[in-house]
Amino acid sequence: MLYEDDIVVVAVKDVVYTPGQITVFSRQHFTIMEQVPDEVITKCMVVADKTSRAVFEVFQAEGTNILIQNGLGAGQKVPHFAMEVVPRREGDGLNLQWQPKEVNQDDLDIAAHQLSEEVAKLGDFTAPKKKEEPKEKKEGKELKIDAKEKDKENYLVKSLKRIP
Amino acid sequence: MPEPTEEQRKQWEEKIKNMSPEELQELQRQQCIFCQIISSKIPSKKIYEDSTCLAVLDINPAAKGHLLLLPKEHYAIMPQVPEKVLGHLSVVAKNLSQAILKMLRAEGTTVFIANGAAAGQRAQHFMIHLIPRKTGDGVVQAEERLVGVEMTMKVKAAIEKKLLTLLGGKKEVQKRVETELSRAEPAKEETKMPVPEQEAEIFVTSAAAKRYHKEKCAFAQNIPAENKVILSREEAEKSARKPCTCVSGKKIPLVKPAATKSKTESKPKGEPKKSKESTTEPAKKALGSKPSTIMKTRGEEASLDDIAKFFKR
Repeated sequence: MLYEDDIVVVAVKDVVYTPGQITVFSRQHFTIMEQVPDEVITKCMVVADKTSRAVFEVFQAEGTNILIQNGLGAGQKVPHFAMEVVPRREGDGLNLQWQPKEVNQDDLDIAAHQLSEEVAKLGDFTAPKKKEEPKEKKEGKELKIDAKEKDKENYLVKSLKRIP
Repeated sequence: MPEPTEEQRKQWEEKIKNMSPEELQELQRQQCIFCQIISSKIPSKKIYEDSTCLAVLDINPAAKGHLLLLPKEHYAIMPQVPEKVLGHLSVVAKNLSQAILKMLRAEGTTVFIANGAAAGQRAQHFMIHLIPRKTGDGVVQAEERLVGVEMTMKVKAAIEKKLLTLLGGKKEVQKRVETELSRAEPAKEETKMPVPEQEAEIFVTSAAAKRYHKEKCAFAQNIPAENKVILSREEAEKSARKPCTCVSGKKIPLVKPAATKSKTESKPKGEPKKSKESTTEPAKKALGSKPSTIMKTRGEEASLDDIAKFFKR
């Protein structure tokens, strides 16, 4: 445990991409990023930024990656929302970069269309219209609750399997 | 773009040397592809736009629906970005991620920020990648591995100080509270005792009386103003007078209240009580409330331990 307050906890965990990696996570339990309230995610981001700065200075890193693995499909291993701050150096052998994928232009267009429609539905989720946001979120959440519960079950089952 | 000749290059270098920081920034902005995307000089597929940020589809996507979330201002790396903007970006990122999960049936999203070329940043414009994920798509190929406890301790020791200064040293406050708590029990009596003593600094007696009282004692209240004598603790102890029970603190003085003085007397009656109980009550309160916070934090730590266990696996 490096730092903690009412909202965020900063800690060093022992299963990491590279030594010096630091994890920022919310004190309250949220399984995935979508559950995290705005204030908390904002705070997490700010703390992650500061952690990144500290990493820059202390480990003389040439760069940092901030990584949120959100959902099982993204390789999330712990059912708790977390941001990883990974110090990077030239030639550290770490491959966090993806291979650009060739995607059909039509597919891209469709995706773009779908996404922009969905985002438009979400409305303007910027600060002045915060009041409306929770309602809109609920709509999205209801649909996702099933998925979340499944996730949780999966996690539980998996964690059970891991226990020897 | 045609290759610049050496002369042109030199000219450029000189120009850049002579430029003010503002001009340099302006130049960076002109050169930045993403700034041109933001100002619509380069066409792009915009997904979301507001006054501070813009989300577009990546041209070299890791997966279908790979989004880039850009602040409209030009910042090269994350430390340059103001907190307000960062906070806004994270909220937008969350909502976009939600949209990705819902519309593209992704099994998850990866939010990725690269600071510096060593971290794989290609353009000099801060951005957040939002990548829709499916199991086994190999987007993040790096394997996590177990690092020894020594290493984690080293990391911890190295970064703790810097991090705390950056974060405003809130942990120190917490630590202090914790140490206070750990000290609270042995220090209980030490901190309590001076309180009644300080209150009892002044004693009141009557010129003819054989006892001295605390100022708030009911007996003291009964002393007529013209006979009142005020003593310090030393004086009171030196004088032949004996301490009232209010001073020794054994009993509460019982006084038959005069009907007219009932109000003023009932109060002083209560107050010596309080002064007596004050030794225990606030301490109890202090001890009562603080352990509960301990319990809370402990409970949370317990849950965090669980998380740590998860991490270990």
